[in-house]
Amino acid sequence: MTKDEKSLNQCLAEWKLFIYNLTTGEFLGRTAKSWGLILLFYLVFYGFLAALFSFTTWVMLHTLNDEVPKYRDHISSPGLTVFPKPVTALEYTFSMSDPTSYAGYIADLKKFLKPYTLEEQKNLTTCPDGALFEQEGPVYVACQFPLLLLQACSDMSDPGFGYSKGKPCIRVKMNRIIGLKPEGVPWIDCVLKNEDQTNITTYPYDGITDLKYFPYYGTKLHVGYLQPSVAVQVTLAPNSAEKEVTAEYEIDGSPKLKSQDDRDKFLGQVMFKITAHA
Amino acid sequence: WSWGGRKGQGLNLARKNEEEKKERETEELKKEVVMDDHKLTLEELSTKYSVNLTTGHSHQRAKEILIQDGPNTLTRPPTTPEWVKFCKQLFGGFSLLLWTGAILCFVAHGIQIYFHEEPAKDNLYLSVVLAVVVVITSCLSYYQEAKSSKIMESFKDMVPQQALVIREGEKTQINVQDVGLGDLVEIKGGDRIPADLRLISARGCKVDNSSLTGESAPQSRSTDFTHENPLETRNIGFFSTDCVEGKYRTISNLDMAVAQTPLFGVSSSREPKLFLWQCMEGVCLALTTKRMARKNCLAKDLEAVETLGSTSIICLDKTGTFTQNCMTVAHMWFDLRENDESRQRKTFANNSDTWFILAQISGLCNRADFKPNQETLPSAKRATTGDASESALLKFIEQSYSSVAEMRKKNPTVAEIPFNSTNEYQMSIHFREDSSQTHVLMMKGAPERILEFCSTFLLHGQEYSMDNELKEAFQNACLELGGLGERVLGFCFLNLPSSFSKGFPFNTDEINFPMDNLCFVGLVSMIDPPQTTVPDAVNRCRSAEIKVIMVTGDHPITAKAIAKRVGIISENTETAEDIAARLRIPVSKVNPSDAKAIVHGSELKDLHSEQLDQILRNHAEIVFARTSPQQKLIIVEGCQRLGAIVAVTGDGVNNSPALKKADIVIAMGISGSDVSKQAADMILLDDNFASIVTGVEEGHLIFDNLKKSIMYTLTSNIPEIAPFLLFVVLGIPLPLGIITILCIDLGTDMVPAISLAYESAESDIMKRRPRNPKMDKLVNHRLIAMAYGQIGMIQAVAGFFTYFVIMAENGFRPIDLLGICLYWEDKFLNDLEDSYGQQWTYERRKVVEFTCQTAFCVTIVLVQWAHLIVSKTCRNSVFQQGVRYKILIFAILEETFLAAFPSYTPGTDVALRMYPLKISWWFCAIPYSILIFVYDEIRKLLIRQRPGGKASLGPAPTEWSPAP
Repeated sequence: MTKDEKSLNQCLAEWKLFIYNLTTGEFLGRTAKSWGLILLFYLVFYGFLAALFSFTTWVMLHTLNDEVPKYRDHISSPGLTVFPKPVTALEYTFSMSDPTSYAGYIADLKKFLKPYTLEEQKNLTTCPDGALFEQEGPVYVACQFPLLLLQACSDMSDPGFGYSKGKPCIRVKMNRIIGLKPEGVPWIDCVLKNEDQTNITTYPYDGITDLKYFPYYGTKLHVGYLQPSVAVQVTLAPNSAEKEVTAEYEIDGSPKLKSQDDRDKFLGQVMFKITAHA
Repeated sequence: WSWGGRKGQGLNLARKNEEEKKERETEELKKEVVMDDHKLTLEELSTKYSVNLTTGHSHQRAKEILIQDGPNTLTRPPTTPEWVKFCKQLFGGFSLLLWTGAILCFVAHGIQIYFHEEPAKDNLYLSVVLAVVVVITSCLSYYQEAKSSKIMESFKDMVPQQALVIREGEKTQINVQDVGLGDLVEIKGGDRIPADLRLISARGCKVDNSSLTGESAPQSRSTDFTHENPLETRNIGFFSTDCVEGKYRTISNLDMAVAQTPLFGVSSSREPKLFLWQCMEGVCLALTTKRMARKNCLAKDLEAVETLGSTSIICLDKTGTFTQNCMTVAHMWFDLRENDESRQRKTFANNSDTWFILAQISGLCNRADFKPNQETLPSAKRATTGDASESALLKFIEQSYSSVAEMRKKNPTVAEIPFNSTNEYQMSIHFREDSSQTHVLMMKGAPERILEFCSTFLLHGQEYSMDNELKEAFQNACLELGGLGERVLGFCFLNLPSSFSKGFPFNTDEINFPMDNLCFVGLVSMIDPPQTTVPDAVNRCRSAEIKVIMVTGDHPITAKAIAKRVGIISENTETAEDIAARLRIPVSKVNPSDAKAIVHGSELKDLHSEQLDQILRNHAEIVFARTSPQQKLIIVEGCQRLGAIVAVTGDGVNNSPALKKADIVIAMGISGSDVSKQAADMILLDDNFASIVTGVEEGHLIFDNLKKSIMYTLTSNIPEIAPFLLFVVLGIPLPLGIITILCIDLGTDMVPAISLAYESAESDIMKRRPRNPKMDKLVNHRLIAMAYGQIGMIQAVAGFFTYFVIMAENGFRPIDLLGICLYWEDKFLNDLEDSYGQQWTYERRKVVEFTCQTAFCVTIVLVQWAHLIVSKTCRNSVFQQGVRYKILIFAILEETFLAAFPSYTPGTDVALRMYPLKISWWFCAIPYSILIFVYDEIRKLLIRQRPGGKASLGPAPTEWSPAP
């Protein structure tokens, strides 16, 4: 035991000596001068490295176009997303009798619809329907997206978006992609899993997205651009106490827009579940 | 077997069987040796083995016996079966870790199947990839191991033991395994006994049975039957024991099964190291040994190469190492005058009676003989058996006098005392038919020793009593010849009185005949001319700061002459004696540090160890002359006290104490005895000192190359770890994933790291100090700082640059990436906005992320290109170093291919999640590659200008010298 203690003491003494050696003035095995030199070296070295990194990055950023990203091949086809974004996964759960259970969804929807109000859309252009609205610049204008299109799901007709009545509104929208020009008439097609119990309404009718909202020119050029969306109102059967609806949507009508991908479950398609309690 | 009982019944049974088998084997070993050969008389022996005891077997009969009994070898220890070795590779160490990973991935996939209907197949693919990687790498390393063990095996075969057998009356050197039952074998001091032997004639024979009995004192052997037990009796010698001195003729006796020496395979218990390093090390060592073997330098042991690299003192035996090992007679001194053999061959010979006697002694008192079947060759070119100086005498007499064989036939040897280092003489008694005095005693040996025996001397065939005049002339002649570096032998003889009639039993152990008042005949001096390559090799050693110390049994003057010839003592330096003579002061007053030391063995005996240390420390050039084996040991120990790693060359048994103590033993392949070859860690096949230097060079080289390899692989750790750190700290999407890390570690880095082992020596490799194994670790703090702090950092920055380029070009500018990972990793956030307002689904942005990871991996490969090129040298510029581009280019192509292949092959995006890269992304790394190149070149420039400065990774000068 004593031997061990002794060696422990020796160990400590050695460590102390290593941490600070009075005779040589070495701190952690190096003198102050040596530490200074080594710090200076690494300061210069890393300084230079940082400078090189900054320089190369600066050069790289200068080769970039401010308006359009250099490569868009990784998003050639848009994904579909739903709004409001549910808290967990893509499941909407609420109770018709309890307004707090869906207050979040309504707030989300309202926030999302804010740019769509009449005042906000005042300065936007009314574009011709049914054709791509291609622009040459230098000033790019955005097309109006009248909320009336969404009919029952616009907050003008129902500020509660139907949640309290068991007819919740969900917005389905196509992701923005710069320069995307769909062909044909893209529409969002609904596949209800248990159709017999529920009724589903899509606004605008049949979920058609007008071509005039394409192409998109990016945040910098396309100021005020309004993303077209489709509202879906699910009317849950009123008699049962608890209802569950699983809905699947996919883009249809335009061969360019993919709606099938093994890996990407949101490429041109979206699936969500609504559970409503009484 | 204590734990055996807890297992199942079946296992128990198996164990029991095994135990029984073991027991049977041990029983067999316990049995006493049953044999009676030692009790038989020679005649009975002769009939038993149907062999003639003077001429031996006929070749035909020997062949038959060999076929009947098989080769004369011990059964080899059981080797590990190949499949076990393979499994060890497959399931050992790092592989196990990967297997665990693969299994975990597979399990994870199973869980996913259970919970989701359509799981992503990533985990399945990953587990398959991991499994494939493990199998491939273990196949590679198994192959590697098999290859290096094959090299080791081949060493065993490359040093075949030889036995001198007598068949059809001729002495033949054959391999030990060809010795058959009943063969006549001749053994001399230093040989390893090739079979179990019954002695039929012996002269002063001693054997070292320590390998059998553990008894280290040599035991004397004779032809007498002294004990019932064959292990105790004197007339049996055992296989694989050593004959220490003497000469005897024996009959081999293979049918007795003496206790089998258990030969256990030495299991190397290496610390579990990382797989890659193990691989590299194996390749490096195997390559080095192979390369050395090509240069006539056989390393028995892989470690030997490394030890040789750190050697700081080489203790050299003069004989055989420096010289061509082909002694030739240079001068003769008789009739009080010198005869230069080369100039006066014709004139001196026939006109003096002294010459006849001298020639007779030279031919008869001589154990060398010509090897058979070369009668057509001129005698100078014939191969001989026996000691170099004896062979020189033999050839000389054969050339300038008459046939030695005839001479020997006329005067057969009846008794003999062989030469050994304590006697310093060799004596033989010969029978003469044509004289009244039927026996003549002949002696040759060290001149002083011979003179002690003599009371008369021979002048023109007449005997005169010894006087001071002759003694003085003798001394002068000795000094003069010795001063030329020649080996001087004195010759004398005595006609034994007629009372020693034919058949008198001469006993050399208890001498029963007169051995004084001999008649001095003359001196013969021989020289073994130094090899032409030696001076250069000595110089190279010196520039590598390796001290070359000559330790020799020769006379100081001879030693000095040879040392001067080969440059161990440089041309313009003086010994203490020289200085004393020049300044006319006594030797003791000369400042020892001014002089080059030549230490006489007898002085060495009286020195304290401190004094010896003083000598070893103060003198750069040291020669120890007239040293005994014990003194050699003292010298080696002295060197080691100073902290040096000592290499010792040695031939012959007498050196064994020093050999045992030395850090590395070097034996001579041609002239060395079997004992020294067995003890050696390294064998010089061409007996050339220059080969040692090659060995040292290779030792330095392997250290360098291992260091380079380790540096190379260590470096990529930083660009592998940094991405994860920044992922956590900055919240950016993960720049380098696990698969890509594996791709670098197990794929792209492997071959380049190994290719560094093929690197040839830098031009300054022999100008560096020897490594101090205590101070200079393979991985030191400088190497770590360099690998992690500098090159690694550059590589990491390069990787991040590429990463940011790809992200930015796809829409995510660097500034927007910071802190994005919370959203980025959210599977249900499918409209993540980039810097341009585009919205990304989870999968799409993951594709970009994996593309970045692929590019990061490729970038590391590209910066490792530059690193590989700069790693080729430690101090020299890449431009100075001659480039062997072949392997380098192969390595570069291989690593690039390994990075590009998974990136561009369709399908790998699913399996490995590596995506094709745009050409421009390959160029992102170029500025950083250039930086690495330039930075390292500058560093090397600084090293070259300030050797040992802060910039170097190698041993600094202050680190070498032992602490005062």
